[in-house]
Amino acid sequence: MIGFLARTLDNRLRASKFLRSAINHVFPDHWSFMLGEIALYCFVILVATGIFLAMFYDGSSAKVIYHGSYGPLRGVEMDKALESVIHICFDVPAGLLIRQIHHWAANVFIGAILVHQARIFFTAAFRKPRELNWVVGMTLLILAIVNGYLGYSICGDLLSGAGMRIGYSIMLSIPVIGPWITFLFMGGTVPVDATLPRMYALHIFLVPALITLLIVIHLGIVWRQMHTNYPGPHRTNKTIVGSRLWPSYTLKSLGLFLLIFAVLAALGGLVQIDPVWVYGPYNPVAILPGAQPDWYLGWIEGAMRLFPGVHIASSGKLWFPEVFFPAVLFPMGLFILLYLYPFLDELFTFDAREHHVLRLPWEQPFNTAFGCGLIALLVVLEFAGGDDVVALAGNYSVVEIRDILRILVFVVPVITWAVAYVLCRRARRRHLERQKIEIVESIAGPGCSARPADSSAEVMEPQA
Amino acid sequence: MTAVEVGPSHMPSFVYVLSVDDMRAVSHYVTDKIADIPLQEGDIGHGGEIFRMYCASCHRTAVRGGALAYDGSNAPSLARKSPELIAGAVRWGPGPMPSFPASVIDDKQLSSLVTYIRAVQNPASPGGFALNWYGPVVEGCVAWIVVLGLVGFTIWIEKGGKG
Amino acid sequence: MKERDQGDRVSEPCGTEAPATSADVFREGKRSRLPGSLLAVGVLLWEWAAKTERSQPHRSPSPESANPLPGGEECGETANRGALPSRVLEVEPVSHEQIGTFLVVCAFLVALGGGIGFLITYWTGGSNLLLGAMLALFSAGMGMALILWSHLLTLNKQVVEPREQMQPPPQERESVVEDFQAGAGQIHRRGILKWMIAGGVGTIAAVVMSMFRSLGQSPDSTIYSRVWKRGQRLMTSEGKPVSIHMLVPGSTVIVFPEGSIGSEKAQTVLLRVDEGLLQLPSDRTDWAPNGNLAFSRVCTHAGCAVGMYETTTHQLMCPCHQSTFDVLRGAEPSGGPAARALPQLPLYADSDGVLRAGGGFSDIPGPGYWGMP
Repeated sequence: MIGFLARTLDNRLRASKFLRSAINHVFPDHWSFMLGEIALYCFVILVATGIFLAMFYDGSSAKVIYHGSYGPLRGVEMDKALESVIHICFDVPAGLLIRQIHHWAANVFIGAILVHQARIFFTAAFRKPRELNWVVGMTLLILAIVNGYLGYSICGDLLSGAGMRIGYSIMLSIPVIGPWITFLFMGGTVPVDATLPRMYALHIFLVPALITLLIVIHLGIVWRQMHTNYPGPHRTNKTIVGSRLWPSYTLKSLGLFLLIFAVLAALGGLVQIDPVWVYGPYNPVAILPGAQPDWYLGWIEGAMRLFPGVHIASSGKLWFPEVFFPAVLFPMGLFILLYLYPFLDELFTFDAREHHVLRLPWEQPFNTAFGCGLIALLVVLEFAGGDDVVALAGNYSVVEIRDILRILVFVVPVITWAVAYVLCRRARRRHLERQKIEIVESIAGPGCSARPADSSAEVMEPQA
Repeated sequence: MTAVEVGPSHMPSFVYVLSVDDMRAVSHYVTDKIADIPLQEGDIGHGGEIFRMYCASCHRTAVRGGALAYDGSNAPSLARKSPELIAGAVRWGPGPMPSFPASVIDDKQLSSLVTYIRAVQNPASPGGFALNWYGPVVEGCVAWIVVLGLVGFTIWIEKGGKG
Repeated sequence: MKERDQGDRVSEPCGTEAPATSADVFREGKRSRLPGSLLAVGVLLWEWAAKTERSQPHRSPSPESANPLPGGEECGETANRGALPSRVLEVEPVSHEQIGTFLVVCAFLVALGGGIGFLITYWTGGSNLLLGAMLALFSAGMGMALILWSHLLTLNKQVVEPREQMQPPPQERESVVEDFQAGAGQIHRRGILKWMIAGGVGTIAAVVMSMFRSLGQSPDSTIYSRVWKRGQRLMTSEGKPVSIHMLVPGSTVIVFPEGSIGSEKAQTVLLRVDEGLLQLPSDRTDWAPNGNLAFSRVCTHAGCAVGMYETTTHQLMCPCHQSTFDVLRGAEPSGGPAARALPQLPLYADSDGVLRAGGGFSDIPGPGYWGMP
């Protein structure tokens, strides 16, 4: 039957030639090449569950009195959006499960993107000709974070409403154009009823469409350029080693998808996330502690908590409010640096040639150290973003924790950078020594440890 | 401050504990001022609105307490407090907690407030394990554990195919 | 053999046939007996894979000239797969096939159980936990089946292929440039067309940009407002006026200007402290009758409601980023990320003892922006 279908299509599309190269496409056999797929499949699950949720969700900030099944909120005025979300959770069969899978998938999606990006970074897979794909990938990361923020903000509950208010203030603090673009995009002065519906439109139309388009481009580039390879036998700049798409890779990939879905379904069923009925409706006069954003924005939250109360004012006017530095300047600077990283790498290694063999982490001490230092910084900031939860859980004073973290945020990344750098240099030196011994032994026989006059075997280009 | 516990819960040492004087004051309120208030029959929705306006900022919407700054203590969890103790604390304002006299929260509102707090002392968690109601921070930790677990899956998927 | 088997001409290292499998037994026996479309689909997939993977004609070694890769092994192939000649590096034969098949079937059965469990739980209105667990079981079973299949029942074959370099040879690019310029020359014949196109694009851009205006309004004078007017009464959220004796030291209430109850920007916290403790700036000494202090409740850092008040240390704290404000000194920031004090509201009591505002806030409430006075 499948043969019949295939022949029918082929007679109308003449796809045989393409299909043949497609099913024989070579994929390298290393687990680290499958990390991007985790992210991809999380996105697929997000879209599928999101379509289900969109059937029931009402993206309206019109006020309504709740009379549904959750007792403690009966008689309370809330947005229609929140009422529809509570309805999904309590009344729609499997609604809560799908909603929780959706939210867990969003959290796991961004984590998977970061793990995948880390693999690309630490193996220098972003070198020519793949800088293009790195740029596309960074944009995907930013869009994913934005969509996650939009997604949990449109529930209209107290926690996410506080997050929206903070987002409003951050946008307001942008120099020169801050008040203009804030009023434009948010729709007016707070609290703005116009904001929620347009966030909904962005969350289900524009941003997912952009993400889908960029994923297609991202995968298309990978397909066209073919994967890289780790250094090894038969793996050169002109060859690719791996196994074919059909059948081995297809089975593994589909299996991975089903396993990811299984894990997310287990999470959705067993571990509660974002219980909006407990937070209650957003009321700008109300607030709660532990008002963190989802974890992928926790680093900005941590920066905002740690950054001291410093603003720039002169001649009686305020120019740069204090939130500008940790919440606008720092993230923008970091993203710009990351966007430009492949080009900076080419500049500083004087190497703009095409590379299809990866650079192992210890072969590039500066890169690896920078990456480790950056990860350490972000981890400390994430920790800072949750410092009041830590203070509550351990019964400490949040002020003491903050003061300690203000020191750690400098010390820990620098130490991590230094340690990583030293370890890489040492590993690289050891590897080069071992290679020289191997070459000498292959020429002069085993046991001979004399160094050759000139080592003509060039195995890797050392990085500065 | 003597470490005298009031109420059935055991509070860790950094959380404010009522001293003997405070205990006396609270029970004075309980017996004299609020003994006649029906504490469990108020309007639960209205009580929730008052809670979110005045109380959630320190005690969290999941009534599990919150971190304070300079006082040397954190706002305690209300999960296992009796209605009388809650009402007495609202009127008396033990330690760093402000007091809310009847002019601010009258008896009827206090009754609704206590009714609401009692109703959410065990908040509904149909979604599963509630991670102690800590919120996005712990959810993020779980998400990362899952991501690393999935990376472990991919390692197994690829390596398991070889020999 | 059907045509599709010609696709893969790779043979195992010379001399070996594809090992006889229990595939045929499986196909004949189990497929006809076991119910469930899941299993049928799984078997179909497996069958297709088995046919293309295992039933290969044995090929003789190909001539060296057809193998462009260096260091050739005896068995190569000439089939052009997507126009790139390739070579098999190593093949791991399938071992433990019986066990493999058994495990895969077990996984499918687990999946089946999970699927049936999910359907039962769903239709009987079961709990979220069960729904999630059953769905997870179904999906995990299917996933394990596929993975075990790939691990235990398919050949693991490493191939090496030449890859296309991304840097094009000069003549390839030049031919494109030639074709493009041939066409562009016809467009550019009339110079004015260039300007027309530029004008058209510019107009479209202007149209699209100006439609952004429909999104919202321009910032108006409300961003400079200090909200309160002199003489306005302080009202609770229920609409009750606030008297000077409403609070005792250590208590607090949320108030609004008359007419703006519930307004986010206007929300004000009224608290009372012992008058002797006050350390207000010299121009504010009469702003706190009887120790009643009023401050804007919108945090000057990022706009959250400053809801936490520590009576023992007289600190107002915002729970969002732990900005603290010293109440006794006019809500000056005392640590934390806020840089500006909470705007204070001057108070006075009228003849009836009702608290009224003595003017607007001392500063614009809320977080700052470029050019804020």
